[in-house]
Amino acid sequence: MPAEIHVEALDTLRYRIPRDERRGMRTDVVVYASPALMDHIRKDLSLEQAMNVATLPGIAGPSLAMPDIHQGYGFPIGGVAAMDASDGVVSPGGVGFDINCGVRLVRTTLSAADVRPKLRELINQIFRDVPCGAGGSGFIKIGPRELEQVLVKGAGWMVENGYGEERDTRFAEAGGALEGADPTAVSARAKERGTPQLGTLGSGNHFLEVQYVEEIHDEAAARAFGLSAAQVVVLIHSGSRGLGHQVCTDYVAEMNKVMPRYGISLPDRQLACCPIRAPEGQAYLGAMCAAANFAWANRQGILHFLRGAFRRIFGDSARLDLIYDVCHNIAKRERYEVEGRKRDLLVHRKGATRAFPAGHREIPAGYRHVGQPVFVPGSMGTASWVLAGAEGAMQETFGSVCHGAGRLMSRTAVRKGRDARLETKKLEEAGILVRSETRDGILEELPEAYKNVDEVIEVVHNAGLARKVARLRPIGVIKG
Amino acid sequence: MAAFEILEHPADIGFRAFGATLPELFANAATAMLSIACDLEKVAPKAEYPIAATGSDYESLLVNWLSEVLYWFDGKRIALREFRVTRLEPDRIRALARGEPRNAGRHRSKLIVKAVTWHQLKIAQTPGGWAAEVYLDI
Repeated sequence: MPAEIHVEALDTLRYRIPRDERRGMRTDVVVYASPALMDHIRKDLSLEQAMNVATLPGIAGPSLAMPDIHQGYGFPIGGVAAMDASDGVVSPGGVGFDINCGVRLVRTTLSAADVRPKLRELINQIFRDVPCGAGGSGFIKIGPRELEQVLVKGAGWMVENGYGEERDTRFAEAGGALEGADPTAVSARAKERGTPQLGTLGSGNHFLEVQYVEEIHDEAAARAFGLSAAQVVVLIHSGSRGLGHQVCTDYVAEMNKVMPRYGISLPDRQLACCPIRAPEGQAYLGAMCAAANFAWANRQGILHFLRGAFRRIFGDSARLDLIYDVCHNIAKRERYEVEGRKRDLLVHRKGATRAFPAGHREIPAGYRHVGQPVFVPGSMGTASWVLAGAEGAMQETFGSVCHGAGRLMSRTAVRKGRDARLETKKLEEAGILVRSETRDGILEELPEAYKNVDEVIEVVHNAGLARKVARLRPIGVIKG
Repeated sequence: MAAFEILEHPADIGFRAFGATLPELFANAATAMLSIACDLEKVAPKAEYPIAATGSDYESLLVNWLSEVLYWFDGKRIALREFRVTRLEPDRIRALARGEPRNAGRHRSKLIVKAVTWHQLKIAQTPGGWAAEVYLDI
């Protein structure tokens, strides 16, 4: 059970754990939550973990927790930590095992009424065409030389090689490839794990959902993103697969080895870190960028197969355009004002999404007047949200918001007393078709296992971190 | 004594493995992890594979050993079911594992295990021998 932690309410949306709550904390923890969400958050170890993050050398501003925060390992999931670029640390665990796990949203030229009559056919086709990779491999065959290119060029390599359209790379965070990728910093084992998995969804909470636009909350932003009521869209949630997982495993081990040399001792070895400027820190960042690029290539491959499935069912008239692609497990060099001073920072987003406000130069030109698109998937069978980044995020949260609904129940708890076939039928009666490759995938991701995504969105909207643009309802789900 | 039991975590999954001796503990921990990833009864122990890992203490050795076994499963694509630890010191482990190359039809995944974490990692002596707790990223 979590220990009693003294938490101050700053207002009805913000809570603070002052730095003097525990020895070793270098800064405060600030949590964004409603009173009801705060009750959930207190039940697991997430606050404890956010306090551990506050002990890391070089942390700038508070250790932040988003309203979807839940217990992770080392860092909480739903946390943001900015480290000073010159004397701070980089922590592979602060990015996570699934480097550049993220979400892309694709709009179609079809309405819910067009898709409903052929929904079963469509879902079966997507299930055949978009592999989950649970059996081991996908449909994209590349060798070591192609992989090097994927690690440097990301989504761009896929488009150059026939897996997409030119415009796809313009509508992704960082253009679908981070600069600074160093394929030589990625181990042979990471490459071996990842190579056959390019273009596969993965399992766990990864999924592909066919949805429709249920409500529009911001007409101007919805128009800019090409969204209208009842339009069918597809949400793709996946990451860097075995390649990213192995990069994180390798560098957590490496940093545990070298930490004593840099005089760092930590309350949890999963937080393993080293100075950003150290050779090991630079090597990790090179490998992380390469893995992030692999993830963008992976989601690009999935989009390519998805387009094929739609074409087979609806013919050439159905167009699929990428709205945007955001990552929610990443560390990025960005510049923010902290206590009145502009500083270069390495912002760790572990289960948090970048949310730049209108006018930011990193937002594609067509969206720049409304803010960066942010996608927040809810649980299977409930709803997902499209948001637009707002100014509050720049002032308070290093340009970040939440990334999901946040888990409430453990995988084992939600399985108890439930039958996968019965639950699939229940979802079907509610108008949602589900196909899953892994046996336990459906049960463990049931809506009951998650917090209410609407409550989470309400907090970030009211706190001025991002604005509501549209609420999306699922009609078909492919689970890993 | 059971070889292992499953532990709850809000987002992921863990296990508590047991062993009369440390080599048995390490072998049972590997079995526990792979039983979460696939149905071990469907794996035929057709061939023997040598697996080794190093560490700086028993805790890091356990994390590195399980990471190595996961690499064999997810990277080399070998489904493993029986582990015999032939040498164990605080900084190194050697073992022989039996199994077969993964077959997508027969070895259906239960969950894709991403990685082995340090989260609340424990190795402790018990009245019956040894116990270890490990959480996995799913």
